[in-house]
Amino acid sequence: MQTERWHFPIWLWYALLCIFWWGLWGFLSKIGSDKASPMQMQILFTLGMLPVAIGILVQMRGKLDRDRAGITYGLLCGIATGLGTLGYYAALHVQNASVVTPLTGVFPVLTVVLAFVVLRERLNKVQMGGMLLALASIIILSI
Amino acid sequence: VIHWVVYASVAIVLWGVNGLFMKLGTNRVSARSMVIWVTAGFVLLLPLMWTTTTLSDLSTRVILVGLIAGAVNGLGNWAVFACLEKGAKASVAIPLTALYPLCTVALATAFLNERPTVLQWIGIALAVAAGAMLSYEPAPVTTTEKQVPCVQ
Repeated sequence: MQTERWHFPIWLWYALLCIFWWGLWGFLSKIGSDKASPMQMQILFTLGMLPVAIGILVQMRGKLDRDRAGITYGLLCGIATGLGTLGYYAALHVQNASVVTPLTGVFPVLTVVLAFVVLRERLNKVQMGGMLLALASIIILSI
Repeated sequence: VIHWVVYASVAIVLWGVNGLFMKLGTNRVSARSMVIWVTAGFVLLLPLMWTTTTLSDLSTRVILVGLIAGAVNGLGNWAVFACLEKGAKASVAIPLTALYPLCTVALATAFLNERPTVLQWIGIALAVAAGAMLSYEPAPVTTTEKQVPCVQ
């Protein structure tokens, strides 16, 4: 007999919270992109994110890793993501968020391919299935 | 006129490349540190963008929407760390958070009156499933913080 009741795990709350925040980001991006240019949106996005990043930095209590290669990859991440987001906002300017956001969400398709080619990481079957679905979705949504 | 999928592809390609840098970076610094350096990368782009545009033609409402968009994205990143620190398996949590477009779809259909066609619904379903499946990486390398998505 099971006496202990099942509790909704705390981590699941945070995962749902993450889904909510990122989902809201897509929604607000659509509202903003109707009026603002991609560059204007990216400027506002960066300024809006700064307080949160500073909050995370404070929470880390100075434990910021300063490995030179790590910093370089981090900065490259920011530059690649920032430039990529310009494309996202440009797409949102002309198309609905309910179509654009799921489509751009397939971006790990390229990460998986690059990790396979550059880092010699192995692809698992779930990821291979995901690649097929990603390609199918790109074709269907392009029509 | 450029098809919107071309713009979306720019995002997919650059975000995809970002994922590779992310993997390389988190091999050397903690995921939290990575978020700080990534944000620094965003800041590096600011002067470049300021020289080509201003915010003077935007209404206060649009400015607020843009700022909040940035803030909630940052909060989403924070929630991923909190989630992994509260004992989530990365192989479960990361694909789960990749379902975030579902929330955008719900909000956009509810509040922006977006009405996808049947064909678009099929594409949306396939894309969301693909995003989650592609993020699935079983057996974390050494720590749970190794795998971090980046959806800035």
